[in-house]
Amino acid sequence: MIEVRNLSKFYGDFHAVRGISFSVQKGEVVGFLGPNGAGKSTTLRILVGFLGATSGEATVNGHSVIDEPLKARECIGYMPEMAPLYPEMRVREYLAFRAELKGVRRGERADAVARSVKDAGLDGREPTLIGELSKGYRQRVALADALVASPPLLILDEPTAGLDPNQIREVRGLIARLAQRKQTILVSTHILSEVEAMCSRAVVIASGKLVAEGTIDELRGKRATGEFRLRVRGDAEEAAALLRAQPGVTSVEIDVSPDALVVKLAATASADDVVEGAVHALVDADLGVLEVGSTQRTLEQIFSDLTADERGIAPKKPKRGSPIPLRSRGGSA
Amino acid sequence: MRGFVPILKRELFSLFVTPLAWVVIALFLFYQGFHFMLLVASFAGQGAVSEQGPLQLFLGGTILHYLPILFLCPLLTMRAFSEERRSGTIEALLTAPVTPTAVVFAKYLAALVMYLVMWMPTLAYAWILSRYGGVEMRTVLTAYLSIVLTGMGYVAIGIMTSALTSSQLVAALVSGLTLLALFMASMLESLDPGTLHDIGNYVSISSMMSEFSRGVIDSRRLVFAATLVLLPLFFTVRTVESWRWG
Repeated sequence: MIEVRNLSKFYGDFHAVRGISFSVQKGEVVGFLGPNGAGKSTTLRILVGFLGATSGEATVNGHSVIDEPLKARECIGYMPEMAPLYPEMRVREYLAFRAELKGVRRGERADAVARSVKDAGLDGREPTLIGELSKGYRQRVALADALVASPPLLILDEPTAGLDPNQIREVRGLIARLAQRKQTILVSTHILSEVEAMCSRAVVIASGKLVAEGTIDELRGKRATGEFRLRVRGDAEEAAALLRAQPGVTSVEIDVSPDALVVKLAATASADDVVEGAVHALVDADLGVLEVGSTQRTLEQIFSDLTADERGIAPKKPKRGSPIPLRSRGGSA
Repeated sequence: MRGFVPILKRELFSLFVTPLAWVVIALFLFYQGFHFMLLVASFAGQGAVSEQGPLQLFLGGTILHYLPILFLCPLLTMRAFSEERRSGTIEALLTAPVTPTAVVFAKYLAALVMYLVMWMPTLAYAWILSRYGGVEMRTVLTAYLSIVLTGMGYVAIGIMTSALTSSQLVAALVSGLTLLALFMASMLESLDPGTLHDIGNYVSISSMMSEFSRGVIDSRRLVFAATLVLLPLFFTVRTVESWRWG
């Protein structure tokens, strides 16, 4: 549905988008992720034909956004960031205008407006002046506008920006319902949990460069750090020496915690095997194992690390996650 | 020109739904009514003091005819692109399957329709005078053709300046000053015959008005009027296209 190849955009001397390439297949909901100022809106604006690219190619449904802009735009329902609308128009008037502008036939216009009103959760608001609507409802009108011509592709630029938590949940719900209908959606956001909640795949950019692309599961896979930690009862040095001798363990660090000694292991082998071996060894040596915890990173940390290089910041060390209670022989939990 | 009709309808809706439009129309008609009343009263009180009749004086015979046009056109056009750019709605508009030419011409025609709607009630003055004396309808029509041509050019300039800035105020000021400069350039025709005099005469709206209100239609005036429309609109289309490379 979308093919982007080596897309670049300069604003004067500023290199806003730096040769990014990605694709979106039909029926996918793809999160376009990046910190503020990463080049998300610029990329989306190039796709919808609002901005020209300095170099590179982009096609939407097989139509080049540069050579066949009108055909490409016919395939897109675009919701710009901040949902700009005409305040002097009523919701129904605005959507009818947008339907006509997008080429919906006269006889089908009323149905198209009614359907988009229903899909965007605007029932009962049709006669309201847009200027009198709350921010959340204005966002819905912009979403209804994107939907009104039943385009094969939706491009939504930060659809939850500036909304309160309830409104965010509602907009996410709307997008999730569209996703169930196999609607192709490219949605930009700087909030990772939003991508987890709505998308099957994500494209991550920072400072105009593509830094990661993959399914949400693949992104979650980046959480694994190859480390875990143990809280043991007894002499930490003895425990550390014992663990250093375990196969697959490359290093052990001792961290003093308020109530116990914490041993960190950096394992190169299968984490499960190393944990099992380590617990066995500690229990056999009569050192009680109190806790075994993974050090999975949150998606926010992964995102931060992925984009840190581009921001000129050293990636943060992973935080310790919640300890996982583990039954062990002789150990108390 | 894809998108022309829906954008024209929306622009007309937007122009006529705002209170500002009705205030401007009311003030304009009050002004014109007062202007006409002064001329008629002057003729009634002193008899025929001019070679021209009150209607010819009303339609371009005095400076009072040109003043409201200089103010009116910037007011009608200042919102066209400036407001869309300030509020961000231009993004939704230009990402629909529409061409920049359609957007520009739709906005232009909407403002021009508003201009014509404002002048239309003044036709009643010709009708009123025709009931009391001889009014040559042909010269009335050519005089109104001049008003239409002037409006077409001035509105095109207003649309162009509106595309150059996202501030309505700046757009109105720049187009107002441009129209004023054009009007002042026509004063060059008061110089002795020569190049400057000819230039002044060529760009003179008042000379055009004066000729047209006598029923004389000079093709040079039509060429100038067409230039005054097409050149600013061409620049406006190019400006809108250039936003993609901003």
